[in-house]
Amino acid sequence: MIKITVKLIGPFVYKLGFSEKELTLPEGTTVDGLCAAINLDPTRPRVITRNGRAVAPAEKLEDGDRIVISPLYSGG
Amino acid sequence: MYGWTGNILRINLTNRTYNKESFDEKFALKWVGGRGFALKILWDELKRGVDPLGPENKFIVAVGPIAGIPAPNTGKTVVAAKSPLTGGYGDGNLGTRVTEQMRKAGYDVIIIEGQANKPTYLYIEDDKVEFLPAHEIWGKGTYETQEWLYGKYGKGAGILSIGQGGENLNLYAMVRSLEGRAGGRPGMGAVMGSKKLKAIVVKGSKPIPVADPEGMKVLGRDDLRKVQQIDKETGWSLQGTTGVLAWCNEVAALPVRNMRKTHHPDAWKIDGERLNAARVATYGCPNCTMRCGITILDHEGRKSELDYENIGLLGSNLEIFELDQVASLNYLCDDYGLDTISAGGTLAFYADAIDHGAIEGDFRFGDAEKAKELLRLAALREGKLGNMLADGSMRMSRRIGHGSEAYAMHVKGMEISAYNCKFIPGMALAYGTSPIGAHHKESWVITFEIKQTARDSYGPEKAAKVIELQRIRGGLFEFIVACRFPWIELGWDVKNYALYFNKVTGLNWSVEDFWKVADRIYSLMKFFWVREFPAWNRKMDYPPMVWFDPDNADKEGPIAGRVLELDKYDRLLDYYYEQRRWDSRGIPTQKTAEELGLIEEAAEVKKYTQLE
Repeated sequence: MIKITVKLIGPFVYKLGFSEKELTLPEGTTVDGLCAAINLDPTRPRVITRNGRAVAPAEKLEDGDRIVISPLYSGG
Repeated sequence: MYGWTGNILRINLTNRTYNKESFDEKFALKWVGGRGFALKILWDELKRGVDPLGPENKFIVAVGPIAGIPAPNTGKTVVAAKSPLTGGYGDGNLGTRVTEQMRKAGYDVIIIEGQANKPTYLYIEDDKVEFLPAHEIWGKGTYETQEWLYGKYGKGAGILSIGQGGENLNLYAMVRSLEGRAGGRPGMGAVMGSKKLKAIVVKGSKPIPVADPEGMKVLGRDDLRKVQQIDKETGWSLQGTTGVLAWCNEVAALPVRNMRKTHHPDAWKIDGERLNAARVATYGCPNCTMRCGITILDHEGRKSELDYENIGLLGSNLEIFELDQVASLNYLCDDYGLDTISAGGTLAFYADAIDHGAIEGDFRFGDAEKAKELLRLAALREGKLGNMLADGSMRMSRRIGHGSEAYAMHVKGMEISAYNCKFIPGMALAYGTSPIGAHHKESWVITFEIKQTARDSYGPEKAAKVIELQRIRGGLFEFIVACRFPWIELGWDVKNYALYFNKVTGLNWSVEDFWKVADRIYSLMKFFWVREFPAWNRKMDYPPMVWFDPDNADKEGPIAGRVLELDKYDRLLDYYYEQRRWDSRGIPTQKTAEELGLIEEAAEVKKYTQLE
């Protein structure tokens, strides 16, 4: 098992009911797998970063990762 | 001619005269409105080198063909003049009832010339203009000024006003309206102040000329509802623009400590979640169904409307992480009529200069109470320090010296807004090439850079993205004059604006027609700068040098050890110039000018420099 931290940004906080939390997931869980685990609507445009850098949906998570899920902000 | 009233109201404050002029369809189709009209008029009517704060400068208020028509989000007006902050072309837009009232009064443009001999405000009602004494409101803040004018003319009146900042010629004084709306970052409030013009009140009673009024009414009403529904479904306005703060903190793009740092462990204390939880009211512009004005009580218990830029510059960039104190600084800027971005940037520069021993002083990062005092000094130009702060970070750094010019965070004299591009090349280019000085409103590419391309790419795709967004944000939305938020934040298709434009004008334009106007405007804005600064070179399009300094790199976090690279930035700038068909100095070529219909303008600029 791996432990990761998920941080949600903006409206996702209210949609999913939390702002930030630690999750324990099976090894080999992908970014897409994480999104499914927290019930993130797959049709909602989003940008996901791992430790501050963009990460692809199929990439596997690693123990200690900080995953940030944000809507596509556009700079006001 | 539908869509335009075809009328310009010209007011001379020196002679206390006014007259109505007309423009033809050729002018309307070439420049469309708002920024396009303002730019062309300033280009034609200002001589090179006029003092921005002298009577020769002109203050322009301009709307566009869909402005004031009920549709998403058409409550905006452009204010423009030669900028006292940058010395180049300056403008900005703000949500205001002036938009609709001005069109109902029968005008697309108001040109204000000369200088009153005593504090004055203007009351415009249809064909009548009154020059009225402003001594009762001169010296007052914008809140009290607005209430005084509401008392006389009612809350439905369109009002633009300035605070003490504009009166005292603070170079980043803005124009204000409604409960927190401000526009004209490059010192448009100071231009009003230099003319001793405290406020403009507009009321109108005529119909706005629309080619298909019934069709536009139905389309506009339905689309306002659709935008409202999208906002509700996505939850965007729960945090509005401030949602981006937490994200910038995560991806190392937040301005912290005069942009020395890109993230901070206490940033959560001032983020969108905290703001939404503290909300006591919500404000929006006219014709808006996705209201972004989140209002909270400040440290002194006053209502203060905040957005991301306010918090980024007056909060994290000053290392002030108490939301109510940030709200207090924002309230003061609004009341004095100061740009929160330049005010925050200038105060942060001052603290940084003290830190680096370039100047002596007792202001430190994190000191909210001292920051309040400094804003007062800057607004009132009180003492030597107040005068330095009132001139913005570029001029302040030149006076201080000791190498401080490198960390005065501005482009072309205007302070950088709340995105720290220490290692975001495309956004640094967007700031560098913004035609009014550093401003995010012209182009914003950070999500694109982080999600869709490598962050450290300096490739032509980034220059193309900057231009694509400049055409929409700095072009379309500034000349048609509407808020970009439904498009940029909710995905409202930009093609809808062609529908509105065609319903209003009876024309049959596509969005591609808009892009040609946008390119024309961007090239003429560059000509405006070049006429003022004939020794123009590409360095004028550089961001601050500290972003290229390896010693300034983050020590930890996502971009540890990384900064921008100057040779690569130069290459990126070349891509940008090539795609715009400008020369290697960043000046439109003769051929480009001809293709954009700028032949006379090119002839004028050739008096001062050669065109390739």
